[in-house]
Amino acid sequence: MTAQEVRLCGLLLQEHFGEVVERIGTHLLRGGAQNLRTIANETNTPLDLVKKSLCVLVQHGVCDFGSGRRGPGSPVEYRGNCERVLRILRYPRYIYTAKTLYGDTGELIVEEVLQRGHMTMSNTVKTVADRLTHNMEEGRSMEYSEVVSSFSKLVETHFLQRCPPVAETATAAPSATPATHRTPASVTPPTAESNPDCYKLPPVTLTGRGKRRRSSDDGEEPGGVKKAKMDSESCGDEGIYWQVNFERFHQHFRDQAIISAVASKLDQTSSEIVRTMLRMSEVTTTPTAAYTQPLSANEIFRSLPPNYSISRPILDQGGSLTGRSDLHRALANLARATLESVVQERFGSRSARIFRLLLRKRHLEQKQVEDFAMIPAKEAKDMLYTLLSENLVQLQEIPKTPDHAPSRTFYLYTVNQLPTARLLLQHCYKTVANLIERRLFETKENKRLLEKSQRIEAILASLQASGAEPEQLTEVEEMITAPERQQLEALRHHINKLDSTENQVDETIFLLESYIISTKSK
Amino acid sequence: DCIIKVKCAHIFELCQQFPHGITDQVIQNDMPHLEAQQRAMAINRLLSLGQLDLLRNSSGLLYRMKDAQTASKMKGSDNQEKLVYQVIEDAGNKGIWSRDIRYKSNLPLTEINKILKNLESKKLIKAVKSVAASKKKVYMLYNLQPDRSVTGGAWYSDQDFESEFVEVLNQQCFKFLQSKAEVARDSKQSPMVQRNSSFATSHEVWKYICELGISKVDLSMEDIETILNTLIYDGKVEMTIIAAKEGTVGSVDGQMKLYRGVNPIIQPTGLVKAPCGLCPVFDDCHEGGEISPSNCVYMAEWLDF
Repeated sequence: MTAQEVRLCGLLLQEHFGEVVERIGTHLLRGGAQNLRTIANETNTPLDLVKKSLCVLVQHGVCDFGSGRRGPGSPVEYRGNCERVLRILRYPRYIYTAKTLYGDTGELIVEEVLQRGHMTMSNTVKTVADRLTHNMEEGRSMEYSEVVSSFSKLVETHFLQRCPPVAETATAAPSATPATHRTPASVTPPTAESNPDCYKLPPVTLTGRGKRRRSSDDGEEPGGVKKAKMDSESCGDEGIYWQVNFERFHQHFRDQAIISAVASKLDQTSSEIVRTMLRMSEVTTTPTAAYTQPLSANEIFRSLPPNYSISRPILDQGGSLTGRSDLHRALANLARATLESVVQERFGSRSARIFRLLLRKRHLEQKQVEDFAMIPAKEAKDMLYTLLSENLVQLQEIPKTPDHAPSRTFYLYTVNQLPTARLLLQHCYKTVANLIERRLFETKENKRLLEKSQRIEAILASLQASGAEPEQLTEVEEMITAPERQQLEALRHHINKLDSTENQVDETIFLLESYIISTKSK
Repeated sequence: DCIIKVKCAHIFELCQQFPHGITDQVIQNDMPHLEAQQRAMAINRLLSLGQLDLLRNSSGLLYRMKDAQTASKMKGSDNQEKLVYQVIEDAGNKGIWSRDIRYKSNLPLTEINKILKNLESKKLIKAVKSVAASKKKVYMLYNLQPDRSVTGGAWYSDQDFESEFVEVLNQQCFKFLQSKAEVARDSKQSPMVQRNSSFATSHEVWKYICELGISKVDLSMEDIETILNTLIYDGKVEMTIIAAKEGTVGSVDGQMKLYRGVNPIIQPTGLVKAPCGLCPVFDDCHEGGEISPSNCVYMAEWLDF
């Protein structure tokens, strides 16, 4: 866990869960596994706040707990999961994907589950139905069954999964005797996939419709709450919590990247074929597999969308009759293109030429670089030294004589893709953290103005609800002067831009992370 | 003494028979009764007369007949000059630097310079400026064409690398390949045919460039291939090699190189859309420092854009 990663995690935790959780979370990430007492003492936080924060973190899968180092019987230790925190950055992308695949219902389901961490199916369905009903016209409401069908589709395609069962580890309860231990103190928490029922829907039927929430419904609240409680009790799926299956989403993103790369490199038809191949092997390939299952041309042909007119001979010509995607190579190519793109934008097209040249030819002398790239010696030297100082290019010494005399040594320039990718990944983390900090700064700078505009909007809304006259409304509106309005516009524009750029940098993060993970597991 | 002269003539005849040179062994075989000492004296005489060249190869010493023309030219020079001339001749068309001449001949610098001036005035050698180090001068025989590594070949004119020329060629080749790919795409045939017809052989590109007439120098197919390689390193072009029958136009050693314009496989990546991705002081930036996200001028400009 690098300093940049911890910094970014801290910012994300603070934005989503608040200061206290951020303090606890950062402490966990920095310090490794610790028990409750240690955390409370070192962060100077009262014990109950620590407990609540840990609950929040565990609920969202950021924190795991397990028995302590000194074996069962010692206090439980908590471990922070940095990777999981970084996923928070990607939430918008997950939600958007769910929307494109399964419409508004899917989008809201995923959003709810992401926000709550773990949820039961009944709870999710109810909340989503209510939200959808709220946005619909008067008199219409959302059927639970529709939401349930979207939910089950998400589960079928593995986008949602059951949370892993909690292992029976020794807690601080002194009454636990060794005989009652069913599972030994496991070092690693159980994964979701270890549960065979991971993708099975609970056998409950939910009937009903979404309820529209009105602001004048305050009086009904106590009754409504009681009713909701009774409903959830009768649903019968307590204890079966669902979480978002991030790996599955990542698989989807990866497939998308590959398909668009094929489309740019070859043509539309080939990319359709690749898309079909990848879709067919969606559920059969594990996320970390290097290759997809081999498929015969027949299967591919049959699975192509029926309205896509493509004749058999063309498919055969497309090559690879037993289609098998080399996923690792595809990721490596995408990562390589990313690195090249960064060098090109940052240092210019000629430096990019040198960079690509070194990637292809691996090791080259100074003179050879000049000759191959056809760049005058002085400029080539300058560019190579710049790249070297940025650590994008490395120098390899090969001595001719045992005494390593400089005049009798070969100095070869080389690019190592994996370390360079790691370096760029750290840059990405720092960049996102910078963007978030700038956004917070901009908001803080204009806090007064934002508060004023919020107050005015609240006044306007209440006036409208109680049926005010147009003159009153305009009078209130004019309380914000024109320059202030302009400033607000600019602020909104800035914040949007920063937000969208965070997402774009996250795309780079995804590509580089996938490549690094795929290489490590090779 | 007469005997020696006779032996000399004999050996000289042998040399004429074998213009590539003869070894001691050959002389011994031909004249088995000649004693080693006498042989040595004869050879030395021929050498001093400037009629034989003494060379060394892997197996021993070699005696070669000297070129008559140069032999006459060298008549007026003394041994030192001959030695220097020999050294320069050995360097062939790559030329040799004055310091290297000094090492090889073990003569002091002043002598070398005098001799070099002398030889130059006699038009036996010439100095050529090397492209690698512009101050360095290499010497080679007068009538030799300097090697490409010295003059730089087609891309150098007067020791200057012609960047604009290379750029122009680069762009022209790329345009040619791009238009070919577009034509193939517009023909709307099956993907495989489209792909194949968007390829161009290096020969085709070479012909196109020659017909354009933008080059003052003659460019060979190899030259064009180096230009096409730079396009590959730019990521704009890809290359495949196919087997071609010997004798097909443009094939070299039974292969042909095909080039094709390509699109980049990804758009410029997300990191470069943020100012931090391109920031020159990225490493100095941290919150609370002089350069920080809060007071970053690049960000301020970029946000207002």
